[in-house]
Amino acid sequence: MVPETSPLLRRTTFVLMAIVYAAVEVASDPDGRPSSFGICFGIVAFLVAALVSYLVPVPTRTVRLPIFVTLCLALLLVAPVLIEPLIRYLTDNGLPLELQMVNGLRILGVGLTALAIWPLCLRLAGVVSLFLILFVAAMGDQKPIPWFLAAYAVVGSLWLMLAYSSRLQASMQATVTTPTAQPTACLRLRFPWWEMSVLLIVLGGALSLTVIGPKRVVWRLGEWLPTSGGTGAVDLFARSGIGDGPEEIAGDNARAAGMVETDKMIEDNKNALIDLVNDMYGPPHRPPQEQERMVAGGKADIISFHGKLPENRRPSRDFDTSRKGPSQRDKKLESLRARALFEVEGQTPLHVRVVVYESYDGVNARWLEGRKPSLRFLEATGGDWMRVSHIRETAGWYWEKERHRFKVAELKTNLVPTPALLTAFRINKVDRPDYYDWDYEGVLVLAGRKTTPPGVVITTECQTLDYCRLPSHAFLQSARGDAMAPLLVRVPESIRPALQAIAEEWAGDQPAGWPQIEAILKRLRQDFTLDWTVAVPADHPAPVMWFLTESYRGPDYLFASAATLLLRCMGYPTRLCLGYYADPQAYDPATAHTPVRAADLHFWPEVLLRDGQWLVLEPTPGYDVLGPRLPWSERLRLAWLTVWDWSRRNTWLLATVAFSSAAVIARRRSIIDTLAVWRWLWFPKRSWQKVVLECLRLLERRCRWAGCGRLPHQTLSAWGTRLCRSTPGDVSLLTLVRLSEWAAYASGLPPPIPPDQIQATCRQTLRSWTLRHLQRLSRETSYQ
Amino acid sequence: MTSSIATTSPNTRVTEVAPLQRLRQALNNALRGKPQVIEYVLASLLARGHVLLEDKPGLGKTTLAKALAAAIGGRFARVQCTPDLLPGDITGFSIFNQKTREFEFQPGPVFADVLLVDEINRTTPRTQSALLEAMAERQVTVDNVRYPLSETFFVLATQNPIEHHGTYPLPEAQLDRFAMKLSIGYPDRQSQRAMLAAAISVCNCQVEVAEQVLSLEQLHRLQEQTSRVVVAPLIQDYLIDLAERTRTHPRISLGLSPRGLLLWQRIAQAWAFLQERTFVTPDDILAVARPVLSVRLIIETAPETVLHELLSSVPIPVYSD
Repeated sequence: MVPETSPLLRRTTFVLMAIVYAAVEVASDPDGRPSSFGICFGIVAFLVAALVSYLVPVPTRTVRLPIFVTLCLALLLVAPVLIEPLIRYLTDNGLPLELQMVNGLRILGVGLTALAIWPLCLRLAGVVSLFLILFVAAMGDQKPIPWFLAAYAVVGSLWLMLAYSSRLQASMQATVTTPTAQPTACLRLRFPWWEMSVLLIVLGGALSLTVIGPKRVVWRLGEWLPTSGGTGAVDLFARSGIGDGPEEIAGDNARAAGMVETDKMIEDNKNALIDLVNDMYGPPHRPPQEQERMVAGGKADIISFHGKLPENRRPSRDFDTSRKGPSQRDKKLESLRARALFEVEGQTPLHVRVVVYESYDGVNARWLEGRKPSLRFLEATGGDWMRVSHIRETAGWYWEKERHRFKVAELKTNLVPTPALLTAFRINKVDRPDYYDWDYEGVLVLAGRKTTPPGVVITTECQTLDYCRLPSHAFLQSARGDAMAPLLVRVPESIRPALQAIAEEWAGDQPAGWPQIEAILKRLRQDFTLDWTVAVPADHPAPVMWFLTESYRGPDYLFASAATLLLRCMGYPTRLCLGYYADPQAYDPATAHTPVRAADLHFWPEVLLRDGQWLVLEPTPGYDVLGPRLPWSERLRLAWLTVWDWSRRNTWLLATVAFSSAAVIARRRSIIDTLAVWRWLWFPKRSWQKVVLECLRLLERRCRWAGCGRLPHQTLSAWGTRLCRSTPGDVSLLTLVRLSEWAAYASGLPPPIPPDQIQATCRQTLRSWTLRHLQRLSRETSYQ
Repeated sequence: MTSSIATTSPNTRVTEVAPLQRLRQALNNALRGKPQVIEYVLASLLARGHVLLEDKPGLGKTTLAKALAAAIGGRFARVQCTPDLLPGDITGFSIFNQKTREFEFQPGPVFADVLLVDEINRTTPRTQSALLEAMAERQVTVDNVRYPLSETFFVLATQNPIEHHGTYPLPEAQLDRFAMKLSIGYPDRQSQRAMLAAAISVCNCQVEVAEQVLSLEQLHRLQEQTSRVVVAPLIQDYLIDLAERTRTHPRISLGLSPRGLLLWQRIAQAWAFLQERTFVTPDDILAVARPVLSVRLIIETAPETVLHELLSSVPIPVYSD
C-alpha cells in the first residue's frame, strides 16, 4: 500500500465527511434543534479530522496499516455504545441503539478521514460516508436534509472523480507497483492463537448450551438487545419502530401494535372464565344453589348488553375452595396448545388480576368476590396516557418504573390486562376516563363493552420494588393500630386459633414487616408441594386446614388461600386474586412476546401497602414475582456468587480441569509438535517433495520455538550451516537442508536419492533435532 | 548413508567439471589472491555476459583478460580508449583494394574472443556506443553489412574510478549491457609475497601467459549447459519480487530493467553451475546480487546499506503452498 499523495482528494474527503457528520446530527435530532447546531458539529468534525491528520506522520514508504491504528479505529466504532451507560447514568438521558451505532459509524468515518493518507482508510471513509448519507436520506425528515443531500451529491461526485484520477495516475506510474510480499513463500509457523480462540469459544458455547440449556441462553442473549422484550430488556430510550413508541401498525403478528379492524370484534360463546376455573381446578363439591342470586344491573348495562352481562360481570363469581380436582387432564393439555388470550411484551413474570376476593366464608369454605370501587380514579395526563390517580407516589421504596405492552388476542371478557403496581396505561388514542372502569380495585375493564377487541394493545407503566428492602412501615398492620378495612383482616373464627398458632410458629419470632411475610411465604414454598391433582375431601369442613395440617400438597388456590389467611392472622390486610400468570418460561424468542393462555390461570395473595398499592405475594412453588431491574453491579455480583457457589460444589472437577489445563499449557509446544509429527507420519504425502518440505516445516517450527528459527531473509543453507556448527557430528540437518533445496528449487528433476532413503533421512533428522535438544542448543549458543 | 549424502551433496550432476576446474586454476594462477573475482568473471563468461572492472591502475585487469583469453584458446584483443578513438577503430572498416578494385572489410579488435577495452570511459560516447551492438547482439554492422562475432565473445572493460578529468561517464544504456561490475582490489600480503617470488627469475617484463586449458568448443558446451540450469518458478518469483523492490525503493533512482532481470537469472544459473549444481537456489541469487545490481542501479546514498536493506526485505521462498 503506497500513501495517497493527492492532497486535494484528502481535503475533499474531509469536506465530504463534515457534510455527512452535520447531516447525521440534524437527522438524528428528535428535539428539532436548529440546523446550525448540526453544521457546527460538522465543522468541529472537520477540524478534528484535520488536526489528527496533521499529527499523524506520513508514511515515507510502502507500509501496511499499523495494527494499533486498526485497533483505534475499531475502538472508535464501538465507543458510543460503550459510553452510553455512563451517559444514561449521569444525564438520565440516552440514545436508542440504532443511533448509538450510527454515531459509532460517524466517529469511525472521522477517524478514517483523518487517516486518509492510507488509501484503504480513504476508500473506507467514502463507503462510510455513503452509508451515513443513506441513513440521513431514509431517516431524516427535517427541512435542511435536502440541502445536505445536494451538497453531498456535489462533493461526492467531485470525490469520485478525484479518486478515479488519483488511481489512474498511480496505475500509469510503474513505480507505484506494490511489491508482492510472499506470505506463503517463507511460511513462518506460529502458534494458532486465532484458531485456538475460535475453538475455545465454540467449545465454551456448546458447553454452556449443554449445561444451562438453550432456552435460557437465548433469553440471556436476548437481554443484550434492548428491544427484545420478554426477559425484561426494553430500552426506555428507543424512539420508534415496530413495537416501540407511538408509531404503531396493525396486524395479527404479536410484534405488531395497534388497533385492528373492528369487524374482528365479533362475540362468540366460547369458554368463559368460570368454565376455565372448573377445567383448571375441577367443579365444587356442592353446587351452591343458594349462591345464585340476582344482581340488579344498571339501566345502561341492560341496554348495552341486551340483558346479558359479560362473563366477568355475572353474579356468583365466588370461588369454592373445596373442589373435586380436574377430572380430564387432556382438557388442560388441549388448552395449553390453545391460542394465547393475550401476549405480553416486557419483563416477566407478571400477574394480571381478573377477580379479586376479599372475604372468606368459613362455613362454606368459599372466597367471596371483592367490592367494585365507587370512583374511577383515572385521569388523562397527555400523550394518550391515563394515570391511576389514587396512588400516592411519594413512597420511597419503589425502584425504576417498568413498561409492558399487552396485546389482546382472544379475551372473552372486557378485561384490560394490567400488571400489579400499575401507575399509568395507554390504549392507542383512548384518553377519556369514562371509557374505563374498575371491576375490582386493580382490575381494569373497558366500560360498556362485552369484550376487549382482539388486537388492542395496552401499554402499561408499573412500579417495581425490591421486596427485601421494603421498610416495616410500608405495611399496614392491625397489631400496630393502623386503620384499615376490617374485611381484609377477617378470618373465620372456626379456624382462626389454629391458623394463628401456625402463623405464630412460622413467623412469630420475625420482626414485623416483610420478614414476617417472607417467613410465611418461604415456609409454604419450601415445605409444601404444588400438586394440581390433589382434591380436597368432600366432607372436610376446612380445606385450608386440611392443606396446612394433613396433605401438605395441593393446587395453587390452596397455597394462596393459606397464605392469605395466615397473613390476616398476623394482622396484615390481605386479599386473594385470581388472574393470569405470564410465565417467563413461555417466552417466545421468535415473536419476542410471552403468550398468556387459559391454562395460565393462577391464584395468589396480595398485601396492602401503606400508599394504597397492592403488593403481589407468591407462596406457590415454581411461581415468581416481578422484581426490579437489577443494576449491572448487582447482576455481576449475583453472577459471581453463582459461579462461586458452583465452583464450591464442583471443586474436584475444577481442580482436575485446572491441573490438566495447566499441564497442557505448559507442554503445549511438545503436544502440538508430537501431534504434527504423527500427522506427518500417518498421512503420507503425494510426492517426495511434500514429504521433505513438510518435515522441514516441522523442524523450522521447533527451531523457532527454541529461539533459533530461520530469519525471513536467511537462506536454508545459511541457516542449516549455522545450526550444524554447534553440533559438528550430526549432519542429518544439513542433509535435510540439501534435500529441501532440491525439493523446493529443483522442479522437474528426479530425487537425488531413492524415496525410501528420503523418508528415513527425514525421520532421522526429526529424531535427532528434537525440541528439547534445540532449546538446549539455543541456551548454550547465541543465535540472534 | 545420511552422512555420505551430506558430504558429497546430492547435486553432483554437472558434467565436465574437470575443464572448469582447470580454467579456474589457470585464472587463479594468473591473478593471485582473488578467487572471488575469478568466480564472478567465470560466472559472467558462462552466462555470456560482459564485465566492467572498475579499479585502480596496476591491479591486474589486463593480466586477467590475457590469461582468460589464453586459457580458453581464443583470440585476445585490446583497445586502449582515448578521446580520439573512432568507432571504426573498434568495429573495423572497409578499404579499397587496388588489385581487386573492391572494398575489403578489415575487421577490428571486436572480432576477438576476449576483448579488453581499457579505460572505456576515456573515449567519446560515440565510440562507446559502437560497442553497444557488439555486446548486446554479438554482431557489428559496417557499411550496412552485418558481421557476426565470435560465439564466445566476451568484453572485459575497465575504468579508473580516480581520475575523472577528460572522461565520459558511461550512459545507463551501455552500463545495462554489462552483466556485472567488479572491483579487484589490492591483493593480500601472502599473495603479494608469492607474486614477488614468482617474478625473481623472470628477466623481461612480459606477463606470463597462461596455458590453454580448454577449447572454444568446450567453452561453448559449458555455456549451453549453464543455460539449462533449472530455475524454479519459486525462484523466478523471488527474482521478480527483488526487481520490483528496486523499482519502488525510495533511495533508488533507477530500478532494475527487464534486461537486467534476465541477466541476473543467467548469472545466477552460471553461479549454480560453478557450484556444480543443476538448479538455482536463493543463495545463488544473493551471491551475485551485488555485482549485478551495482552496475545498473542508481542508488542515491550509501549503496551498500541500500543493497543490504533491499536484499533483506524480501523473504526467502521455501514453501510454494
